[in-house]
Amino acid sequence: MNLSPDETIMFEVWGLPINATIFYTWIVMALLVVASMLITRNLRPDVPPNRWRTTLEVIVQGIQSQINEVARGSSRYLLYYAGTLFLFVATSNLLLVVPGFEPPTSSLSTTTGLAISVLIAVPLFGISSRGIGGYLKTYVQPSFIMLPFNIISEFSRGISLAIRLYGNIMSGAVIAAILLSVAPFFFPVVMDVLGLLTGMIQAYIFAILATVYISSATAPSPKPQKDIP
Amino acid sequence: MSIDWITVLAQIANFLVLVWLLKRFLYRPILDGIDAREAEISNRMGEAVEAKDKAAAVEAEYHEKLRALHVSQAEMSETIRKSAEDQRDALLADAAQQMQAERENWQAHLGDEAQKFTAELHRAGTETLLSLTRKALTDLADETLEERMAHHLAGELGSMGDDLKKAAGDATQATIVSHDALPAHVQDSLKAEVSALFPKAAVVFKTEPAQAPGLMLRLGGAQISWTLDSYIEGLESLMQDRLSTGAVSKVTADAL
Repeated sequence: MNLSPDETIMFEVWGLPINATIFYTWIVMALLVVASMLITRNLRPDVPPNRWRTTLEVIVQGIQSQINEVARGSSRYLLYYAGTLFLFVATSNLLLVVPGFEPPTSSLSTTTGLAISVLIAVPLFGISSRGIGGYLKTYVQPSFIMLPFNIISEFSRGISLAIRLYGNIMSGAVIAAILLSVAPFFFPVVMDVLGLLTGMIQAYIFAILATVYISSATAPSPKPQKDIP
Repeated sequence: MSIDWITVLAQIANFLVLVWLLKRFLYRPILDGIDAREAEISNRMGEAVEAKDKAAAVEAEYHEKLRALHVSQAEMSETIRKSAEDQRDALLADAAQQMQAERENWQAHLGDEAQKFTAELHRAGTETLLSLTRKALTDLADETLEERMAHHLAGELGSMGDDLKKAAGDATQATIVSHDALPAHVQDSLKAEVSALFPKAAVVFKTEPAQAPGLMLRLGGAQISWTLDSYIEGLESLMQDRLSTGAVSKVTADAL
């Protein structure tokens, strides 16, 4: 039994081995993109919205409202980023119920990659919002002594993001696989339902934490108040 | 638990590609559609507010027109009422005039009928009186009316001889006019009487159907006569008095 889908080679492309993590990631990507294209292909102002378009609008506006609750005055780029994080992780975790599908989020490489992307996105959003100087100042606040702690905090955020998502999804998948071999009739179903709930919660937590990190880097620093004589 | 760094890099690349793809095919169309719909709703709400304002203006204008219409209607009703009264008065005057004309026509017609009745009465009375007189004379005295008329005219000639001569002057013709032709012995008797008084005058007999029954002697500018006209006129006046009063009484000879 492989604990990580990285170890499962599906096929090779021009001599490059494609493991299950990348393969199922492509499936999730294709599913999301094709569904989006099909739903938004006839999207014109003169055509009344159908139920699928309404569903997508509800999802996108739900994500937008959640982001607005965390980060006031957020840009659309944050929606693109955090929304894609949530949709990718949520879809991967939902496909856990498909027999034979191994969610890419059960791979530590995937969660690490997503966490690294968050680690990169935070300074990028911070610099685009505050400028390089303004963003670097946040590392020496409230004093220069806090610089190493702030750097450690940044990395620990990424590590915690990666390990949290990986641990939850991988453990759910592994436990479901073990129970399937031990008691194949009842417990796997319960665990799958539990796994769906856990996967949706983890997708929400991952996207919200990424939004919080980015919003903390983009939030304007409070101006020092002058002493009133 | 191990990390495949190649897979990590591949997943980062996949994720960035997915961000771009979803931005291209999901977020931008959906958000643009929502923005377009919000803009359309905003425009429609603006149009609705504008239409509401226009409707309020039109409503106010309608109420103003309605008020003006009520005022105009009252004025028109008053004008129509006055016009109807004038027309009614004109029609009543016209009807009264027509009634007056009808009454006058009726009065004229009544007068004509009365004249016709009187003429008919005159004619019938004359014929009746003439017939009764003839019959009475024949039955009682075995004489004709013409003989008695000639006798009466001869009597008149005798009593009015001097006056008649003065009036006649030097007349050379004496004309005796009667309603009907006189019998020969009556003509001879009259001729003899006239010739006795006026030897130079030639006696001529004429008949005039338009003349009342009786005899008329014309001699120059003189004229004496005896006709039934005076009797008939007395009879007519007596009958008209009785008809107008409705009284029925015996007709006396004096009345005639």
